[in-house]
Amino acid sequence: MIQVEHLKKDYQRVKRREGFLGGLRTLFSAEYETTRAVDDISFHINEGELVGYIGPNGAGKSTSIKMLCGILVPTSGNIKVNSLIPHKNRMENARQIGAVFGQKTQLWWDVPVIESLRLFRDIYKVPEAQFKRNLNLFNELLDLHEFQSTPVRQLSLGQRMRADMAAALLHNPRLLFLDEPMIGVDVVAKERLRTFIQQINRDQKVTILLTTHDMGDIEKVCSRIMIIDHGHIVYDGSLDQMRAKYGTQRTLVVEFEEAIPDFDAPHATRVKSEGRKKWFAFNRFETTPSTLITHISAQFPILDLAVEEPEIESIVRTIYQGKPETVETRAG
Amino acid sequence: MKIFWSFTRQAFQFVAAYRFNFFAEIFLILLRMYGVYWVWKILYTQRPGAFGVDLQQMITYGVLGMALEIFMWSRPQMYMARQVKSGAIDTDLMKPIDFHVHMLARSLGETLVALGVLAIPALAVAYFLLGVELPPDIWTGTLFGISLGLGYLVLFHLNFLLGSLAVVTLDIRHISWAYYSVVRFFGGQMIPLWLFPPFLAWLAAALPFQSTYYIPMSIYIGNLSGAEAIQAMGFQLVWLVVLVLLSRLLWSWAHRRLVVQGG
Repeated sequence: MIQVEHLKKDYQRVKRREGFLGGLRTLFSAEYETTRAVDDISFHINEGELVGYIGPNGAGKSTSIKMLCGILVPTSGNIKVNSLIPHKNRMENARQIGAVFGQKTQLWWDVPVIESLRLFRDIYKVPEAQFKRNLNLFNELLDLHEFQSTPVRQLSLGQRMRADMAAALLHNPRLLFLDEPMIGVDVVAKERLRTFIQQINRDQKVTILLTTHDMGDIEKVCSRIMIIDHGHIVYDGSLDQMRAKYGTQRTLVVEFEEAIPDFDAPHATRVKSEGRKKWFAFNRFETTPSTLITHISAQFPILDLAVEEPEIESIVRTIYQGKPETVETRAG
Repeated sequence: MKIFWSFTRQAFQFVAAYRFNFFAEIFLILLRMYGVYWVWKILYTQRPGAFGVDLQQMITYGVLGMALEIFMWSRPQMYMARQVKSGAIDTDLMKPIDFHVHMLARSLGETLVALGVLAIPALAVAYFLLGVELPPDIWTGTLFGISLGLGYLVLFHLNFLLGSLAVVTLDIRHISWAYYSVVRFFGGQMIPLWLFPPFLAWLAAALPFQSTYYIPMSIYIGNLSGAEAIQAMGFQLVWLVVLVLLSRLLWSWAHRRLVVQGG
């Protein structure tokens, strides 16, 4: 579906000089500085995949998505979306993709939602039968009928996202880009959008590339995750693989029958004590939970046990920070 | 072609959403018509033979100019500047529609709606109250219609060129004010070009702006007729072709250096 090879994108910006005189000089002799937003990335996405595309602000996510849409022209490298080169076949490419940009709406601000959808129907040349079928689907899954006659400016953010989602899917795209679609949306609406995203991925086999800062989205929705940072792809694989690779730290939480003095277990460090509970951190390549439990239960009677995996968020944080060895586990 | 109708419907929705705005606009147009009517009436009382055409023709010219103020209603260049500045231009570029055609459809839709709900009702009022004349015959009326269409297209492309510049400058509000004054003045919206002093008349004759107001309105009142009218429409057509080519060229250049802002 998507093939990206050695993709690079440079931006040229006018270097502004400071102060009034500097501003004047900029007017007459502009100096340019080049920043590389995307630096040699390659990946493949197969039909029907739901990929989480994450990275800190300014990592190059939006730039690469805009290149996939054909809006920006790559500095070098190759992109193919369903065997089309996006920037060379922008219009043809546009028919097979849909996009939701969380921070901006593509709906007309002052007119009812349904009018914008009708306009998109005509722009994408969607046949009337397909249009009706999709409206029914959106009514069912997104409750579109509740606000379809309301002007966009009067919609709540959650409603607006649902309307934007409907607009992006109206022409049955094969590929959907979701660029932070949940930004600022409350938990209930978020849950609903997540379910919807999964549904259209499963039922309509729409390939989805989801950009988000919310690891909850990734955990609940995505089967694969790509992490981009400073223009490079630093991780590409499944969530489980990522946990296995970077989340080597585990925490054993033990509740004892009575309060006991602090102690350390072999290959594990006690990180916290609270009442009758104690937290032991260990590297799963150095010891196993069962060894630890055997060792501890031999000394003190145990009431309850739990092994905690590192939170995805902290794994990602360490990947961003570039030190994958020291992933901390959730404390408490 | 359906797309043009679609944008027209959309523009109508917009007018319906801002009804107060609509009433204010139509009131303003009527007020201006009345103003122009009185100015010419007084001037003709002072110097009856000084203006080249008779009073009725001049009033028709002036009132028509005020009704065609609606040409300024659709401002694709402002839309382009806003979209570029906010970064929302990428939602436009994601559509499977040529951007130039998209802007034309949007602007034409807005203009047709403004023509229908503002200009024609205002002209109807002027016909009954201010003694504005209809074109002398069907042939003149048809020529006027075609010339008006050409005039609109010329203005649209000038707007589009200005909007393409917004990709680089990001803000065109101030240029836009100056630009509209130039369009109004050299377009002959209020004062017909035959009253200009020689140098200005020569300048106005070379610039594309007279296509917008002066040529169609002069055809309407019968001041340009026969071969002269056809020649003037040829002038419009030549400018239109030049401007379309320039627009395609400038936009493809602007598109290439478009850095989508934000996000």
